Amino acid sequence: MLFYSFFKTLIGQQVTVELKNDLAITGILVSVDQFLNIKLDDIHVVEEQKYPHMMAVKNCFIRGSVVRYVKLPASAVDTALLQDAARREAQQPTVPAPR
Amino acid sequence: MQQPPIQQQQQQTSSPTEFLNNVIGRPVLVKLNSGVDYRGILSCLDGYMNIALEQTEEYVNGQLKNRYGDAFIRGNNVLYISATKLRE
Amino acid sequence: MTEEAVPVVEPNAVEEPLDLVRLSLDERIYVKLRGDRELRGKLHAYDGHLNMILGDVEETITVVEINEETEEEVIRTIKNTAEMLFVRGDGVILVSPPSRTGA
Repeated sequence: MLFYSFFKTLIGQQVTVELKNDLAITGILVSVDQFLNIKLDDIHVVEEQKYPHMMAVKNCFIRGSVVRYVKLPASAVDTALLQDAARREAQQPTVPAPR
Repeated sequence: MQQPPIQQQQQQTSSPTEFLNNVIGRPVLVKLNSGVDYRGILSCLDGYMNIALEQTEEYVNGQLKNRYGDAFIRGNNVLYISATKLRE
Repeated sequence: MTEEAVPVVEPNAVEEPLDLVRLSLDERIYVKLRGDRELRGKLHAYDGHLNMILGDVEETITVVEINEETEEEVIRTIKNTAEMLFVRGDGVILVSPPSRTGA
């Protein structure tokens, strides 16, 4: 839940989503769900010459599983808060014990 | 009681879990699906087969490519864990 | 403001593999990813999938190109940087913390 909550705080920010097929899309984050599926508005492709078929597309839905990276504006990220949240999440056992 | 030598232990172990419990703290070879090998001391592992190794050496095509003091290996990449003898 | 009862115990012993990652919070780590990619950056957050947020990131991509005329293998590295990066955990192969001393 940590990253779902985190991405919700970034709604309205401009982000660049790099996909596993190397396509990178910049746009305004409009929504995110628990699978980290992402909706972007006002998009443009980073390498437009290489991927011209996307030029007319204004917004998109990205399935979470095809995301490699999301580049974020550092100014929108509270790193101290994130580290605390990560430590807190680490205390809830999510990993099954070895059997 | 003294621990029996590893070869003898391997013959005694009957389940994968027992094998894993016996190799914690011992030198192991971890092979990934990609074919890359890691040799190191097995610190611990969890139910996803995430692995923590100490004094890790990374071998690509049999050649030493990197060393890591500690290494976390994400379990989904693991093909097998093999007990090894102490490094010569 | 509500005070949450977060136990402050942070045993330095590595009892499960993810402890290695937890102890690297706020430290620069090395991450090896699928597709011959490597990252170096400061770890700000992670979860059980190994999703991560890294700060001041340097990405290195290794590409092997074959010169068709000479049939030589040419290894090329591409470097990128990012000030803040979310990394999806499913691409992670290995995480290495900075060497811990006295642990």
